[in-house]
Amino acid sequence: MGWFGGKTETPDPTSRADRQKCWESRDAYFACLDGANIVKPGDEGTACADVKKAYEKNCAKSWIDYFNKRRVLAEQQQGVLAQARTQADSVRR
Amino acid sequence: MSTCTLSATVSRALASSSRRSLSLRHAKTVPRTIPRAALASSSRRAYSQDPSNPLQQTSTGSRDKSTVGVFTPKAAALFVATGVALFFYFRSEKEKLLEQKRKEREDQVVGRPQVGGPFSLTTHEGKPFTEKNLLGKWSLIYFGFTNCPDICPEELDKMSAAVDKLDKEYGPIVQPIFISVDPARDTVPQVARYVREFHPRLVGLTGDYATLKATCKAYRVYFSTPPNAKADDDYLVDHSIFFYFMDPNGQFVDAFGKSSSEADVVERVKKEITRWEEETGRKV
Repeated sequence: MGWFGGKTETPDPTSRADRQKCWESRDAYFACLDGANIVKPGDEGTACADVKKAYEKNCAKSWIDYFNKRRVLAEQQQGVLAQARTQADSVRR
Repeated sequence: MSTCTLSATVSRALASSSRRSLSLRHAKTVPRTIPRAALASSSRRAYSQDPSNPLQQTSTGSRDKSTVGVFTPKAAALFVATGVALFFYFRSEKEKLLEQKRKEREDQVVGRPQVGGPFSLTTHEGKPFTEKNLLGKWSLIYFGFTNCPDICPEELDKMSAAVDKLDKEYGPIVQPIFISVDPARDTVPQVARYVREFHPRLVGLTGDYATLKATCKAYRVYFSTPPNAKADDDYLVDHSIFFYFMDPNGQFVDAFGKSSSEADVVERVKKEITRWEEETGRKV
């Protein structure tokens, strides 16, 4: 929250504003990863350094782990679904 | 029972009308030489003599009725028969419907899951709260934790929005409740800070590990918080993310998951309140 100001202050999960800030910085970071064509967070090198810094500042460590894992899982799911679609298409042909 | 007396009246009427229609058929053979006007006036006299005595009516009825005009014996018989048939038809249909409703209710009572039970927790205002506090109000209960990244806030927002809609419709008869599954970190002030941003009437409940575990067990809620977790640990809790819909007797009605929309919740609750009102005449 505003009056904490300091960089070391952890975000307050009970605050709607703090949650919103975390989600927004997560979305910005993931958008950067998408732009660099990278699925797994951490594989991007220094490409998204500034948005990543904001993400890590605004979200608790446990939340970051959770969001990152979910991103990878979601991408895998998309891959599996795409594969299933192409398979189904080839069977139909 | 009113139906019984009604049916008795109708069967009496049926019996007397069949008698009358038989005698009316005999009356047909009577030569129609008597002037209609004379008969009509005699019938009027017959009725006017003593209207309180129904016997008077039937004794002269057989002769008089044949002169009434379009109301022929055949028409009378058809009219009465149709009436009686319709009466019995509707009565049997009504009985079928009642039977069906009764069966439905029985099914629901039989199929009601054993969710809920006694518990004793503390509200975000530091007051005691037990299963008794659920009585006399509908409730929506969500189990979660304040350090929950995204699902809990989303579900609580959905629940609060649904409660707002229902408040507008019925007044505050649906109580939103949040029960923590994270005893180590969700202290009373922490829960208080959390619930105030969702709904002004949202009650946040917490307790120690044993009480919360027992409550969750009664509500068939799973959670993964380790018993030895510390308040400053950074961890997530894996837990069931349904919210429960309970009736004013504190009995489980339904559960809503992530796939249920706010509109689904409102519709389901409304349906149940309507049914409750039909059965008890009250909304709560």
